[in-house]
Amino acid sequence: MIVRYEPWGAWVKLESQAALVALDREGVRALGLDGGATWSGAAGPSAPVEVHMAVTARCGAGCEGCYLDARPDGVEPPADVLLRELDALRDAGVFTVAFGGGEPTTRDDLDVLADAALARGISPVLTTSGLGLSDARLARLRSFAQINVSYDGASETYTRVRGFDGAAAAEGAIERIAGAGMRVGVNVVLTRESFPRLRDTLVRARQLGAREAQLLRYKPAGRAASLDYLARRLTPEQARSLGPTLRELSSALCDGGDFHLRVDCALVAFLSADEGLARDPARLARFGVFGCEAGGALAAFTVHGRVAPCSFAGATDLRATDLALHAGDPTLARWRAHVEAPPEPCASCSLRGVCKGGCKVVAAHVDGSHGPDPECPRVLDHAEETRKEAPVRGAGSTNHEKETAA
Amino acid sequence: MTGPDAAADGAEKEPQRRAEVAHILGVRVGHGANCSSIGSVIDTLFATATVGAAIFAAVVASLASEEVTAVAPPGKNTDHDAEPAPEKTP
Repeated sequence: MIVRYEPWGAWVKLESQAALVALDREGVRALGLDGGATWSGAAGPSAPVEVHMAVTARCGAGCEGCYLDARPDGVEPPADVLLRELDALRDAGVFTVAFGGGEPTTRDDLDVLADAALARGISPVLTTSGLGLSDARLARLRSFAQINVSYDGASETYTRVRGFDGAAAAEGAIERIAGAGMRVGVNVVLTRESFPRLRDTLVRARQLGAREAQLLRYKPAGRAASLDYLARRLTPEQARSLGPTLRELSSALCDGGDFHLRVDCALVAFLSADEGLARDPARLARFGVFGCEAGGALAAFTVHGRVAPCSFAGATDLRATDLALHAGDPTLARWRAHVEAPPEPCASCSLRGVCKGGCKVVAAHVDGSHGPDPECPRVLDHAEETRKEAPVRGAGSTNHEKETAA
Repeated sequence: MTGPDAAADGAEKEPQRRAEVAHILGVRVGHGANCSSIGSVIDTLFATATVGAAIFAAVVASLASEEVTAVAPPGKNTDHDAEPAPEKTP
């Protein structure tokens, strides 16, 4: 196991099973270990546990909502640059690196990069569209701990989310990766069109050999950062129904333990509408649920070699190779400071410690501010109450107000 | 460092590790493989108490037996007058 001491104890990454464990100081001592200077020195912010690395901006798929705005002629950093970035991850004590882009399987050296991550004690994982996954490309994926294929549903649903029908290619890729004995999962983007078909999508993915499905909130970044976002995002009713939906899907699909359901950081805010979950935030924390960890447990490396709080946020001035200096970066510090002292209604939310204020990228696009997630059910209720108490005349100027007025 | 029972002949045996569920603040199961947003397994939240207990029991067993490698500490605070590290949760 790999131990990274923290002011509160240590992160422990197990090697006999896929698990990252947060242990308190007493638990660390019980293992015969001691945090030493980390426990007695000045408290600084922790390094990320997971970094998302864009290894290329090349992609021919042309998904309408691509958060990176990847294109066939996108930039692609040379391997030596990425190897130095992997050095920086090792030096910072990062546990997992997720390769993405762009379409990372277009790189001829993907296997070299994966092996380089492993050699540095970092688990490499990968996201792919599955398009053009030749046998030669498939052979380069063996070192990855898990490969997720973007799969939003069968043909019609896939097309509605991405603007073209790549479902057959994705399904073929899931089947072939699983058939080759590699662990495969799917990434499912939730839009108001794909959400009603979610159960069918997951059943199909599981039939094809997927071991896990990660549900992703649609986010206004890259080509999705337009007014069209407002027509694609989940409806408020769908957002409120996420908790019961997850409960039902877990019961139907995950009982045997061979298929798992994940939610992304941005979806955690929607769980505030679920009374059972909102009543027991300690349970979410105990099962390791992460909300917005941008600039905290999560960071991203852009294709231009800069650190960003997450893949959807703008880059900071900090070079990826200088990740060890993350504590002094003012942008990352601003993201962390907001989480430490959020405004209402986040300040009094029971899920605050887990959710951490919802998605700031959505807030910036919809409300033009680095504030509470405007699509969170609790934030919507709070806004409604505030409006009743102090009615505002006029249609307002934020994207959210424009849509509401319309 | 090696496992608790790995002492060679004549060498001082390491103290038995005592991993306990009570000291686990959280467990993130699985790898996750999304490159754009961090994910968390959620179905375990709805599982029976038996399933949940099995997850933590397996973790405790691994904590007590796996070899240890320590990696880099967290970033140092540039404010040298800062208070010592508090024992707060992750």
